[in-house]
Amino acid sequence: MTVRPYIERLGARTLDGVDAGLALWGVFVGTFAGIIRGGRPKGEVVRQLYVIGNKSVVFVAVTLGFIGMVMVYQSCLQLNRVTGDLSQIGPEFLKLLVHDFAPTLTAMMLATRVGAGIAAEVGSMKVTEQIDALRMSGVRPIDYLIVPRFLATVIATVCLTVLGATVAYLMGGLTAAMSFHVNPDIFFDLSRVTPTHLFLGLSKAICYGAAIPIISGFCGLRARGSSEGVGWATTAAVIGSSFAVILIDFIISAFGLTVLGGGL
Amino acid sequence: MAPVGDTSVAVGGVLSRLPLGSLAMVEKKAGPGGDERRPTPTFAYYRRGVLGERYLSSVGASAVAIAREAGGITILAGKVLRSLFPPSMDWRELVRNLHKMANRSVPIVVLTAFFTGGIMVIQSGIFVKRFNAAGLVGWASGYAVFREIGPILIALMFSGRVGANNTAELGTMTVTEQLDGLRALAIDPIRYLIVPRVVAMMVSLFALVVIGDLIALGGGLLFSKLILGVEYSTFYYSLVDNLTPGDFLHGLIKAAVFGISIALTSCYFGVSVRGGAVGVGRAVNAAVVAAAVSIMLLDFFLTYLLG
Repeated sequence: MTVRPYIERLGARTLDGVDAGLALWGVFVGTFAGIIRGGRPKGEVVRQLYVIGNKSVVFVAVTLGFIGMVMVYQSCLQLNRVTGDLSQIGPEFLKLLVHDFAPTLTAMMLATRVGAGIAAEVGSMKVTEQIDALRMSGVRPIDYLIVPRFLATVIATVCLTVLGATVAYLMGGLTAAMSFHVNPDIFFDLSRVTPTHLFLGLSKAICYGAAIPIISGFCGLRARGSSEGVGWATTAAVIGSSFAVILIDFIISAFGLTVLGGGL
Repeated sequence: MAPVGDTSVAVGGVLSRLPLGSLAMVEKKAGPGGDERRPTPTFAYYRRGVLGERYLSSVGASAVAIAREAGGITILAGKVLRSLFPPSMDWRELVRNLHKMANRSVPIVVLTAFFTGGIMVIQSGIFVKRFNAAGLVGWASGYAVFREIGPILIALMFSGRVGANNTAELGTMTVTEQLDGLRALAIDPIRYLIVPRVVAMMVSLFALVVIGDLIALGGGLLFSKLILGVEYSTFYYSLVDNLTPGDFLHGLIKAAVFGISIALTSCYFGVSVRGGAVGVGRAVNAAVVAAAVSIMLLDFFLTYLLG
């Protein structure tokens, strides 16, 4: 009954953490190297775009639509309590959507769907030793598996963010018109959005789209054991990519406020 | 304690194909053109297909699948509700699940909430800079965190960590026929496995949102000082003067409902797994997606109901 086991466990965890960090860095660098190096199977990016992008369209549209309705409803409710002037709600809502909520919430949704999918796929290839087989035949697993998913997720996240923002804005306008009698002409006012907002939103979407496949692929490649290991890899991928989304959002938003603050 | 199968078989063919109703029966004879999920069509398949019969039939098939899943989840909810009155479940399993689901999730919830609070402060910081209205920060970020962002983000994290894990666990038990084993020992899988999990997830998410809300406010307090230069007391009074306990309660009710819905979807997809280990992976994915959609839908209805 000494403190020794605790210190040992702490040390083991630290070593594990350092090891995982290095491996994640390896996947990150390898992915970017793989993009330049080429060598991915032909047509794989398009196929992944279909699996990652097209198949998420309904999911993203439904969730972002409801989020848009709820957010407009809540802010109208609160504004009614304070000022009663609802004319600003549409333009401000669009601004918030473009530079923050649309990319972040779309990416949170994709982190669950796409992240889990990538980790499960790569993880089950790992535990059935197909990754080792790839290596044996002289194919780099990162080039072959992660790079196409990476490219597809970056493109899909940007496209789905645009879709999500549109759906959320339209549904928000509908809510405002139906529940609070806000004139649609006043609500759908696009003049507040500046290039700075578009730049912030776009860079967020690209960063999220890059983070999700790298973290999920990393979790998949580290899967051990049998199907249980794949389950753990999937969970870790969803948690890791969701948290990465929140962290990136925080960093880019803080950057936007402190450095580009004048544009907002 | 009768086996679960007995209750729903009598209702007829449709119900007997639902999970839990009679897993053994379903596994024996997958209905004509029914339960075996088709493999994912390739890209070429869709490129070849004309908009027409194939498209329409896929719309119909997904509508039927959604209806089947919604019905299955409803029936599962009914069974869980029935075993709660009077409460009869495996209490030790409940405590074990509470530890596994709540205590182990605290670190990730704390991290998420901390940065969420920071993000909310940054978003409202735009107004502070433009109108020089430091008195708004606490109110705006507190309102958003309590009512929407706190419960939703923590529920999404919870669904990714606990819900997915739960589906994988139950799914593995299902494909290795451990549920049938329990039934053979005259142990009701609903009371032994499902009910403790549903209760544990509801309680866990409720508690985690309480913790998360407080941490998010702490993060907001810290970052509003660091990034915007708003004094702690300004933040505090802005929060206390403008928000009521009702706002806090609003989020907590949502958290409890989200917890139940995550539990029901993850348990449903877990016990209705088919097709071995690959099926478990597919079920985990489906469960996480269904939980996310149900969180958003319920959030919408609850917002209207609670006002």
